[in-house]
Amino acid sequence: MKKYQQLARLPLRPRGSSRDRKIQGLDVIICVILCIYALLIIFPFWNAFVISISTEDAYLHSDLLLWPTQLDLSSYKQVFADKNLWSGFGITMILLIGGTLYQLFFTVITGYALSRHNWTGKNLVMNMILVTMFFGGGMIPYYYLIRDLGMMNTIWVMIIPGAIDTFNMLLMRNYFASLPVEMEESAKIDGANDIIIFVKIFLPLSLPMLATIGLFFAVGNWNSWYNAMLFIPDNRKIWPLQQVLRTMIAKVSSNIENPEAREGYSEGLTMASIFFTIVPMMSFYPFLQRFFVKGIVVGAIKG
Amino acid sequence: MELTTISRRNNVFVKFGNKFWRSKYLLLMILPAIVFYIIFCYVPMYGVLMAFKDFKPRLGVWNSPWNGFDNFVRVFEEPKFWLAFRNTLIIGSVKIVIGFLGAVTTALLLNELRMIKTKKTIQTIVTFPHFLSWVVVSGFVFSLFAYNGAINSLIKAMGGDRTNFLANKNFFFGLVFASDIWKEAGWGSIIYLATMAGIPQDQYEAADIDGATRLQKIWHITLPGIKPTAILLLIMSVGGVLSAGFDQILNLGNPLIREDVNIIDTYIYYHAIVGSDSAGVGTAIGLFKSVIGFALVITVDRIAKACGERGII
Repeated sequence: MKKYQQLARLPLRPRGSSRDRKIQGLDVIICVILCIYALLIIFPFWNAFVISISTEDAYLHSDLLLWPTQLDLSSYKQVFADKNLWSGFGITMILLIGGTLYQLFFTVITGYALSRHNWTGKNLVMNMILVTMFFGGGMIPYYYLIRDLGMMNTIWVMIIPGAIDTFNMLLMRNYFASLPVEMEESAKIDGANDIIIFVKIFLPLSLPMLATIGLFFAVGNWNSWYNAMLFIPDNRKIWPLQQVLRTMIAKVSSNIENPEAREGYSEGLTMASIFFTIVPMMSFYPFLQRFFVKGIVVGAIKG
Repeated sequence: MELTTISRRNNVFVKFGNKFWRSKYLLLMILPAIVFYIIFCYVPMYGVLMAFKDFKPRLGVWNSPWNGFDNFVRVFEEPKFWLAFRNTLIIGSVKIVIGFLGAVTTALLLNELRMIKTKKTIQTIVTFPHFLSWVVVSGFVFSLFAYNGAINSLIKAMGGDRTNFLANKNFFFGLVFASDIWKEAGWGSIIYLATMAGIPQDQYEAADIDGATRLQKIWHITLPGIKPTAILLLIMSVGGVLSAGFDQILNLGNPLIREDVNIIDTYIYYHAIVGSDSAGVGTAIGLFKSVIGFALVITVDRIAKACGERGII
């Protein structure tokens, strides 16, 4: 566990040899370039935010909206009164909690079983899983599979097919395999079976890793729209937030065809809805960043 | 006496049975995975047969009549498909190159930045867009490049004319590349930063003693240090070159230019799911794509091994 905590910190560690030397011209240049880069990342957020709190008049007639000229929160009022968005929010919360726990459960037990070396047929199962990383049926056979399973236009299509994520499962497997096998052996001698060993010994030891993988699943569920678009075309009531947002953005993009014809301040509403969906993530990200970083670093070194 | 002969005769089976029974709980844990992979990965693989059939949904995959390579012939005679294929190759390969350059450059800059607090903040900022969905990012792109958007307002303020960027397919490719860099370069840099942190310090110390400048150290130590990781990641990304980013193209596209900027995946979606192409044709395209993708991975892997690098297969 220590090892992984260290790994997680690696990217932020300063290079020892150059730490104590004084700031040179090159440092200033690097700092300036990086600050410009960071500003370029921030600008779209800021621009969208300003659009969301401006009036349509200001949006259409000011030169560059760097600062809201007339503060107007009516877009946000509309967003908070929008039934579709709240229903999407509810569905997304179900996916976020239910879906994440479901994925975590199946991914982790599979990873654990594959990390133990003493059972019949393990290599066969392992190869069966690895093959799926290189080959797949493609979109159309999958589409007909979902249809034949009767999951079209149900909420299950957004949860059930996500049970196991192969990459994260292998990450989990490698983590379990790196823990000392002696713990398992001594527990076996004391009479514990595999399930007890897993729940009482290995699971508590792998909580940081569980958190990392769980967070990746949670982000995936929060951002989920693909399954809804493909498989829930006719049931708007169970559209997740991102799919609701997608249709709103599609409305803005219909302004592209005919930029002069406008109906309502759809830009302001859309940008306010975007903030409705990203503010939760923005507020958590700075505190959770290290878990995400750990996931990718461990994955790359191990995998 | 009798008992021992029986157990000896059945030795193999008894042993196997015992081993099986001993690992019953592990087998129980793996069972859901077996069911899952068979249903959601192997059944669609079997469904690939649709590519060689005149698929009728009510007959199912097995009972639909075979039609040989008709589906493929139909696809390959369609100029719009070849346009999508060309777009896929362009978008996919340019994205690999710029994604790689963007990530390495960001990692180098962050690695050389010695103000720890600033570095941490900048890293948080530049990695965040990775966690946004393409739905949100496309909203940002529209807000910036729309007819009344920020970029056009800026052009107008400087005395130019408003341009409808989003309706022009030549600008579309630029927007695809720019938004991809914006979203992924920061996140991609993390892996290279971790690799850079793993380069032994004594190499830098030795270079200091020899009087190397910082640029020389970057060129002769840092870059060779990340070379194996870079090659590994490049090989892995080449396999995905024909994927080119379904989410991105679908969300950034709009009805005006949709048909001109299709990639293979969006072509399948718009023609075989939304549109009127048959399922067999859609499957044929998918199969064509995965065969080429697989061949690409093998080829690049061989080339890398021939050049003395560590492959992935």
